[in-house]
Amino acid sequence: MPVRVVETTSPSHSSGQDLSSAQPSPPSCSLLCAGRSFCGTQNVSSLQKDEAWKVNVRIQGCDIEHGFLCGTMEALNVPLADTPVVTFWEGEIVDAKNHTFFTGKWEATPEDDIRHWSKFPSFTPLLSQIEDDGGKSLDLSNYPYIFMRWKEQYFVNVGADCGLTIAGFYYVCFSCTDGSISGFYYDPNSSPFQKLELKCMNAKPGGFSFSSYELV
Amino acid sequence: MPATAAVAPPPTAPEQLASRLSSGDSDESLLPTLREIKNQIIGNRTKKLLYLRLRAVPKIVALLSSSSSPSPVIVQAAAAVGSFACGVEEGVRAVLDAGAVPHLTVLLSHPDAKVVDSAARSLRIIFQSKLAPKYDFLLEENKTFLLSLLNSTNENITELAASIVAHSCEKPTEQTSLCDAGVVQKLVSLLGGSSNQRDTSLDAISAIVKNNPEVATKFVSISNGKAFISLMGLMQDRYPRTRLLACVCLISIEQAFPVYFQEMQIKTKLILILLDLIEEAGRVGDEAPFVLKGLIGESEELHRQALSVTAAERLCGYLRKGKAVLEARRLDGILLVLAELGSKLEQSRAQLIELQVPSLIIDLLKHDCAQVRVAACHVIKNISRSLKHLCAGRFGSESIVMPLVQLLCDSSTSVQTAALDAICNVAVNLTTKKSALLQSGGVSILCQLARSMHSEVQLKSVRALRNLMFLLDRKDKDLILTELTVSTLTILISDPDPLVQEQALALAGNFVDGSGVSAKFIFSEDISIIDAVSRQLKGECSPGMCIQGMFFLANMAAENELQKDAVMDCILPTSLDLSISHPNFFLVTFLQSKERLLRLSTLWCLINLVNPDQRNSFRVSALQGAGIISQLKTMVNDPCLDCKLRGFKLQLHHGIKMPPSKHQIEKTYLS
Repeated sequence: MPVRVVETTSPSHSSGQDLSSAQPSPPSCSLLCAGRSFCGTQNVSSLQKDEAWKVNVRIQGCDIEHGFLCGTMEALNVPLADTPVVTFWEGEIVDAKNHTFFTGKWEATPEDDIRHWSKFPSFTPLLSQIEDDGGKSLDLSNYPYIFMRWKEQYFVNVGADCGLTIAGFYYVCFSCTDGSISGFYYDPNSSPFQKLELKCMNAKPGGFSFSSYELV
Repeated sequence: MPATAAVAPPPTAPEQLASRLSSGDSDESLLPTLREIKNQIIGNRTKKLLYLRLRAVPKIVALLSSSSSPSPVIVQAAAAVGSFACGVEEGVRAVLDAGAVPHLTVLLSHPDAKVVDSAARSLRIIFQSKLAPKYDFLLEENKTFLLSLLNSTNENITELAASIVAHSCEKPTEQTSLCDAGVVQKLVSLLGGSSNQRDTSLDAISAIVKNNPEVATKFVSISNGKAFISLMGLMQDRYPRTRLLACVCLISIEQAFPVYFQEMQIKTKLILILLDLIEEAGRVGDEAPFVLKGLIGESEELHRQALSVTAAERLCGYLRKGKAVLEARRLDGILLVLAELGSKLEQSRAQLIELQVPSLIIDLLKHDCAQVRVAACHVIKNISRSLKHLCAGRFGSESIVMPLVQLLCDSSTSVQTAALDAICNVAVNLTTKKSALLQSGGVSILCQLARSMHSEVQLKSVRALRNLMFLLDRKDKDLILTELTVSTLTILISDPDPLVQEQALALAGNFVDGSGVSAKFIFSEDISIIDAVSRQLKGECSPGMCIQGMFFLANMAAENELQKDAVMDCILPTSLDLSISHPNFFLVTFLQSKERLLRLSTLWCLINLVNPDQRNSFRVSALQGAGIISQLKTMVNDPCLDCKLRGFKLQLHHGIKMPPSKHQIEKTYLS
């Protein structure tokens, strides 16, 4: 379930905001929440060879209101590593309020953004509305896909000198219908369009379960 | 040549002096006695209390009203009364009980100016105490009296008038009445007077404008804004106390009339001046942080502004330099400002963490003063609202956890509850290991506190356990429930307080999340968590409780056949003859609820029950027979996309209706 984060201070408004126009609800899905696990592959093929790593992802935190989530990513059968390589990543949810489709950092230009987002079929209907401003006025609360950027922050179990890079970031598309994830890695210094494909996993044998916390 | 210095006579024993007061004399022979008493008690709390025990106050007050008392005696008696009332609550009480106020008030009209001065000074001291009587300014005679004092040429009397206003003026009707009577203009004229007149006038103006937009508007219009400009000028006064009172006054006006303060410049100036004042000695430095906290309040804009002028760095600097020597009151204030800064914005929390605030304040969790311990807990609680840093495990270390756990056994309940709030957030610690909290003995204490008779302590403990249980390893979950006991959990689920019920249900839901749930915890001969949950769901329970209850059942239904069957027994009516409108048949009601999460949790429970990978055809038939599956048809119009998609999934699996394709869903969205 979406993690319920209840804060005792009342929500405040920034100055200058038009309080008469309601903010659209942020996009949310009960399959995208803390504790949820995904597994699949990342295609790391280059011109020289075809290669795919098995990948497990776990969401550790999810704050829909602020468009933030984070988790770990575990890459198995990495040639350069003796053990699975685990990284910690932080994500931005594209919700038009906190983040738009335009990255604005990490050496990604708006053209790079559109090029990558356009790799997702689910993005195509939105293209015309984001070309000018990244989709600031889009209401994605009822769209059956959630778009995100995931940026790995550090290696959890290996040194930074392991020969692997986490300089880039992922453009991610999450399907609210079945919890599947597609992603494309972007790093100007790496092979382009390395594809990430993940399926949502049940933690229990008989279905999906949910956990919650409440911050005060 | 050097001569032997004259030796002052030893002080007369208080008992002797007090007994002289009982002589019945009121003439000048009492002067030495009164002088000596006054000299002994000035700045000496112990002596004041001693004379109170000797019942000196009523005797001295009696001299004020005696017609045979000569002026010098009255002057000394009034001064002594004022001294008794200065800074000692018992002294104020004694003075009031002896009826000093009316006698001193009469003396304000005495022909002898020294008597008037002495009476006015003593009254001013009395009116600095919260215990002093309040004037009702809606009574015409009181307003007239006040105006007569304000019109006086005697500085002590005008100061007294301002003190009375500062102390007594509270109700909006009083504020407006005084404003209409021209009191504000009179007070403004005192801003140009002596330092004491300015200070008492500032206090009084703050009281009159506080939370009163109408009066605040009139104030800023006085003399075409000149009064406001004078007030602004007093922020730069050479006396720290005047600067502080000017800030308080401006903040009162800002909060009553915010439109006048849209320029950030004034607010920035206030923040900077208050930050400077925190370094001042004495009461000014002690009170300045509280005034700053009142200014920045819950305004994100002001939080940002405070950060941009390095407020956080400066406050941390004060703590680094002198937390071992700062007065408790000042420490309390500084911590509360830091807590306020960390309360709303992620950028603030990030900055406070970067400044190592948690490490800086850890030892303040052990401070002698309970208020400081409470404030330190608030800082940790607010900073740990940062999901990013919770995920990074920033608050899970022993150095933070251990002192907080120790506070759970604090003698002060307010410290306990503040520590519980901090632990509640820290317990979420979104890394996979919560070892510091698990190994600290905190679990045992939390489980004990969950049985507390104090409702707030109980609620916060259960919430903390819930958060601790979040995404924990199965082994640790089992340990916690063994400590808490299934019996206690079922009692908490049925607690009379709905808030406790909701937290207990969420705790149970977190326990059964994840695989490997041992049946011994769920099913036992006498006590069953699922029975307790079932009873709640069938009763009158709040939406919050129902949501947690359904997620518990959804989690149960994701485990194995045995648990799925138990959930079926819970949700279906005992007889198929019962109509779906029967109160026991809550599932349909939940599917129709206005609460999105309730519909969603119910859908997930059903999805898990009829998971197509499992042997479930009899469950499907039972749910169909009870009319539940057909209710799903209404989900096609659900305003929540998540609910719609889960409803489609259920229908897809059981051939009720083919769901729209992904293309159709997108088309619906885009149109």
